[in-house]
Amino acid sequence: MRILAYILPLFALATALPGPLTSSAVAAPPAASIYETDIQPLLVARCGRCHANGKTKGKLDLGSLAGIQQGSESGAVVVPGKPNKSLLVEVLSEGAMPPDGKNRPTAAEVARITDWVRRGARTRYGAFSVKATLTQEDVLPILFTRCVVCHGGRQQKGGLDLRTRQSMLKGGKTGPAIVPGKPEESLLVKKIHDRDMPPPRLLVDFGIRPVEAGEFETIRGWIAAGAPRIDVIPDVATSHNDPLVSSEDRDFWSFRKPLKHAAPRLDDKTLAADVANPIDAFLLSALAAKSLKYSPPADRLTLVRRVAFDLTGLPPTWKQVETFLGDAQPGAYSRMVDRYLASSHYGERWGRYWLDLAGYADSEGKRSADPIRPHSWRYRDYVIRAFNADKPYDRFLLEQIAGDELADYAGAETITEQLRDNLVATGFLRQAPDGTGSDIVNTVVERFEVVIDEIDVLGSAVLGLTIKCAQCHSHKYDPIPQRDYYRLVAVFGGAYDVYDWLKPSFVPGQTKSKAVGRVLPYLTSTEQQQHKVARAAVEKQIAAVKKALTDRQAALQKQHAEKRLAGLPEAIRGDLRKMLATPKGERDTVQKYLAGKFEKRLTITTAALKKQNPQFKKLTTTTNDRVKKLQAELPAEPQIRALWDRGEPSPTWLFRRGQYNKPGHRIGPGVPSVLTDGRTPFAARPPWPGARSTGRRLALARWLVDPDHPLTARVMVNRIWFHHFGRGLVETLSNFGNAGTRPSHPQLLDWLARTLIEEKWSIKQMHRVMMNSNAYRQLSAIRPAAEEVDPENRLLWRMPLKRMEAEVIRDSILAVAGRLHDSPFGPPDPVDVRPDGLVTSRESPDGWRRSIYIRHRRKHIPTILETFDLPQMIPNCVERPDSTVASQALHLFNDTMIRSLADSFAERVAREAGKQPYKQIERSYQLAMGRMPSDAEREIGLAALEELTRLWRLRRQEPGTTDKTSKKTPPSQRALSTYCHTLLNSAGFLFID
Amino acid sequence: MTTPIARRDFFSSATDGLYGTALAYLFGRDLYGGSGLLAADSRAALAPRLYDLTPKQPHARPRARAIIQLFMQGGPSQVDLFDPKPKLTRHHGQSVFKDLAADVSSPHAAGGLMRSPWKFAQYGESGTWVSELLPETARHVDRIAVIRSMYNTHPNHEPALYKIQSGKLLPGLPSFGSWIAYGLGTENQNLPAYVVLDDPQSRLPVNEIQNWQSGYLPPVYQGTRMRPTGSPILNLKPEKSRQRPELVVDASRRLLARLDRIHKKQRPGQLRLDARISSYELAARMQMTASDALDLGQETKDTQQRYGIGNSTTDNYARRCLMARRLVERGVRLVQIYTRGQMWDNHANIGTSLVGACQHTDQPVAALLDDLAERGLLDDVLVVWGGEFGRLPIAQVRPGSDPKKAGRDHGPAGFSIWMAGAGIRGGTVYGTTDEIGYRAVENRVSVADWHATMLYAMGMHHEDLYFDRHGFRERLTGTDEVRVVRELFA
Repeated sequence: MRILAYILPLFALATALPGPLTSSAVAAPPAASIYETDIQPLLVARCGRCHANGKTKGKLDLGSLAGIQQGSESGAVVVPGKPNKSLLVEVLSEGAMPPDGKNRPTAAEVARITDWVRRGARTRYGAFSVKATLTQEDVLPILFTRCVVCHGGRQQKGGLDLRTRQSMLKGGKTGPAIVPGKPEESLLVKKIHDRDMPPPRLLVDFGIRPVEAGEFETIRGWIAAGAPRIDVIPDVATSHNDPLVSSEDRDFWSFRKPLKHAAPRLDDKTLAADVANPIDAFLLSALAAKSLKYSPPADRLTLVRRVAFDLTGLPPTWKQVETFLGDAQPGAYSRMVDRYLASSHYGERWGRYWLDLAGYADSEGKRSADPIRPHSWRYRDYVIRAFNADKPYDRFLLEQIAGDELADYAGAETITEQLRDNLVATGFLRQAPDGTGSDIVNTVVERFEVVIDEIDVLGSAVLGLTIKCAQCHSHKYDPIPQRDYYRLVAVFGGAYDVYDWLKPSFVPGQTKSKAVGRVLPYLTSTEQQQHKVARAAVEKQIAAVKKALTDRQAALQKQHAEKRLAGLPEAIRGDLRKMLATPKGERDTVQKYLAGKFEKRLTITTAALKKQNPQFKKLTTTTNDRVKKLQAELPAEPQIRALWDRGEPSPTWLFRRGQYNKPGHRIGPGVPSVLTDGRTPFAARPPWPGARSTGRRLALARWLVDPDHPLTARVMVNRIWFHHFGRGLVETLSNFGNAGTRPSHPQLLDWLARTLIEEKWSIKQMHRVMMNSNAYRQLSAIRPAAEEVDPENRLLWRMPLKRMEAEVIRDSILAVAGRLHDSPFGPPDPVDVRPDGLVTSRESPDGWRRSIYIRHRRKHIPTILETFDLPQMIPNCVERPDSTVASQALHLFNDTMIRSLADSFAERVAREAGKQPYKQIERSYQLAMGRMPSDAEREIGLAALEELTRLWRLRRQEPGTTDKTSKKTPPSQRALSTYCHTLLNSAGFLFID
Repeated sequence: MTTPIARRDFFSSATDGLYGTALAYLFGRDLYGGSGLLAADSRAALAPRLYDLTPKQPHARPRARAIIQLFMQGGPSQVDLFDPKPKLTRHHGQSVFKDLAADVSSPHAAGGLMRSPWKFAQYGESGTWVSELLPETARHVDRIAVIRSMYNTHPNHEPALYKIQSGKLLPGLPSFGSWIAYGLGTENQNLPAYVVLDDPQSRLPVNEIQNWQSGYLPPVYQGTRMRPTGSPILNLKPEKSRQRPELVVDASRRLLARLDRIHKKQRPGQLRLDARISSYELAARMQMTASDALDLGQETKDTQQRYGIGNSTTDNYARRCLMARRLVERGVRLVQIYTRGQMWDNHANIGTSLVGACQHTDQPVAALLDDLAERGLLDDVLVVWGGEFGRLPIAQVRPGSDPKKAGRDHGPAGFSIWMAGAGIRGGTVYGTTDEIGYRAVENRVSVADWHATMLYAMGMHHEDLYFDRHGFRERLTGTDEVRVVRELFA
């Protein structure tokens, strides 16, 4: 008996999973319904507005049996006997259709339809059948998924290319792959049936899964039907209106282009006096409508601290505070803002916000190994520099989305900084978790996840729309049909081709194919030179270390030879020495003779030498260790983690329900129709004559930065607003769609968007506009009367009280302690992971660098940052959570690094303020709080220092105390340390008014 | 046995008036700005929204108030433990590789069918089959429901683990423990709702801390690792070298309180400052409770011995089983115990490596069931045993190697888990695999079904437990078609 008999049915079982499970949910009506009499009239009545009488939204016609059998663009809508698998039943029972909720079918009607489907969807003429003529469009997606990696564009194993019907007919070395009408004679069918193809033992190496039973039937059926071929034009936005997107849809507030509204005039004179710029006019007029007004302006100390944190993420130095306080001229405040905008720390602060949106990480994620991305930091540096240089936002987007298509880098004679930056910038779309470097998770499914994530990043960061839902079905809340999603997939197809994939990197032990990673070598000659110099320096060290060993070895060997020579007749010693000194290949006959006779006796192998001489053995070990260490320090070959168009992408098919193995029709590149006029074609063309690139992403980027784009500028100014005012004008920062919130001040939002464009997309200019408003200069204190009217402060009658974010806490403590190593850019700083899970960044002799320069390996985020809400980037973070939990208190109060930094803080205070406690207290406040202590705080501080000193002295006097530090450090200094540690834990330090 | 500190006592012990008020506000309640809410939650209108661990009403009468998950990561071999397959013996050595190819991670070492080297017998009144490798667990078969028809959808640890923990093959989603903490909160505010006990002597499990992450749920719901030595929770205590005299700590706390009070007085109405101040008090309180919960010295020698504490084979796992009991006793909602390294991942030498894994865990697991039953805890504590997948019925051995060194490769298509307590119908054997134990065929239980079943035990409905994320209702079970396996319950 063949055991296979037991297993073969598995193939069939794969498609026959448990059936409907809601058997008792609905009481069955007495008689089974018939389509023509019971169902058709009902569907026409309820759904006919869009899906009957010539209207076929989503390519669905519910008015005829043929139409319902044909299904929609999302695939079959009725699966006889399986209500759970029937889209029609799903959308009706969920209430997703009709979309506006008007003319909804009753529960009884939905039950009737459900029951009709369950009982096999009977028609007057008998069984419901889905008649479908198979074409190459049913078969090609299967072959692209399962076969073309070896039988396609890059490789043609056995001379076979399976990408077209024509090439299948031509076949390979063993004959044609298909014989139309004769599946049993077709090699394609035979090889798959016998499970010789795809080769079972090579599946993992090539990221392939076996052909599924249903797929096999499709291939066989197509060939049996004569392998019919139809002409296919990919679905792109054409002159026809998309039936799923109406002109009312386009009329939604955020889908219309922003208009510059004039600032409202304020008749009330006291209010008008509060207007510093149009922002105030918009805000005050909304406040006035509720009889509210601004809070009083904050004092200078509050302002300088607020501005310093907002723009640099660091506390103001006391010198900065004094400069601002001492500036009595008009415009002192604006000048102070400008000073912080000019600071190199500005890019580190605002670059971090952008890195959150991009989902920046120094590792691939997805896998337990979480392989390091050695080149990611170049993108991080690019972002910081772009913010510092105030790179116009439109240019910033162009470079990040399509830098590779802006200029010809491959054909350039020299790589300029601009060309390099163009490529580094595309790292924006290379930040999503990507595990496909490991063979076992490098199938179309996992590749498509990377594409999905990158589209998600683009959608949430730039577009302000959650388009992810449209991956599986047409969007429920926004007018984004599924095909729009796959148009974006096609836009990315030139670079991210799920059927022709480039691995992100080579993961040792997990990758068989050595296909190069997705990196480019186009760095400037300066960088190449710098790399060569840096590498040469290490190589020189390695050579020197190695030479010391070989020299020693040579000397020992010579000693050995001399010792042995001493035992030989003097007459031949000279000749023997000459022989030994002559390389083997160059010896003459006499020397060869001598070598044969004496060489063995005169020489000693390395192994024997080590045995004989322990010192030499030790030297060998230490040398090898040292060499290994130095080799680890060799700088990695400089590469750019870029995204580039590789030309000739595979076709894009819509994946029904988002599943790669349920391909729908062929889709061409495009953008969401609702954001266009619906008539203009998506203009993608190769960016320069002879370019391999498709130009698809460049077209996308140019469309995004069009001044009339409804979302790009709005989304960006809203984010800047959010970071300054603690709440977006649109609260859902990444969802400007139907499910998002409406803007609290729509006209102000548009005014800001237009201003950004008018100011040539300058982000720094937007800071100036916002921060110079009187709104920004208000106090943060709560006024109960105002709170009663507007508890959420949506109208902005005060500034919010903010807690420092994760990086700000760490960086600020470092700055206050005088341990912040101010050195920007370059490869990230390593982290250490303790067995109990504590992750810390490693200190260098100069201290610690800012948090943005720590290695952001997904699985090892430094504990302090994670505790204060630095999220995992999966794929990105559009808004950080803001929590107050006990673990934060525990970290700041007990953590070793914080305590050691408190010691440094105290040492600094003692150094700068001397021994007088009241001076120490003053200096502590200047450094940590950016102000002088109040009288009460002074008194409390003095009392605390006195008490703490006494307690520490007690400790020192305890008999048998082994505490070495207590003996070394005087009690007064330990007391100051405890005091400083407490200040770092206090609300006054951690919160910003 | 010590009495857990009651919520009321904690309030009365908070002597400072201001702190008392603040505590009432916070008390395990963590202030969190964002969006999302539990189904039918009337707090929707509150802003800023609060995410906390206060006990919540379940959707329906719960069978379980807590879960102890004995997580056997690596993939215990079902055909050697709970799912005997005589056909394997009869067809030992026969090649079926091509049929299984989709699930084989190391095709170059795929051998023929491999019989189980161990004997199976029927136990208890129910007559449930168990392998001779688990004699102690076998004693409990009448308390246990074995599911033989679980299946996962990926043959590799990482994706399969993500799936079993969070419902999808990807990282970044909330673990089911986080969902439970989010949905139900916890009964003891001085302890985390969701505790993870990983092996203190081995590395973190595959996927590391992502096994208990909270994904898009607020971080307050993620699993908290508690450790038996040193600081039970990270930074709960300062390191030894950094410890200060008690009096200094007191003085520092008092100083902090005074400074914060001044700060707060100047900023009336700022709820965040209240919350923050209270979080410091809560942290202090946690130090005591957590250490107490893990103090096994409070248990009798006899109890310790029954678990296998002191026996080098079982000690490490036994301690954590006993800790788990002490934690659920104190109101912790979910305790997850991870096993040592990848001890169930028997790619090679299954003849010895599987024996070791069983001996390490069998007695502690059985003792835990005894102990819970004796204390009446088994009535409302659900105990769950199992890994992320099982193993293949074929041998894994390189051609030409010693067949005695064979192991089994990962087998996601069908595997066994068991559940006990909290109204589980003991003696049940649910579902079947095919005749070689490769693939679940009857009454198949998907990971989503299993998640929904655990939620059901806790009184929650998988469709009503959701989190609103940018206008998208996220659920543990996603959009999958899900079935609660009600047949498991009495």
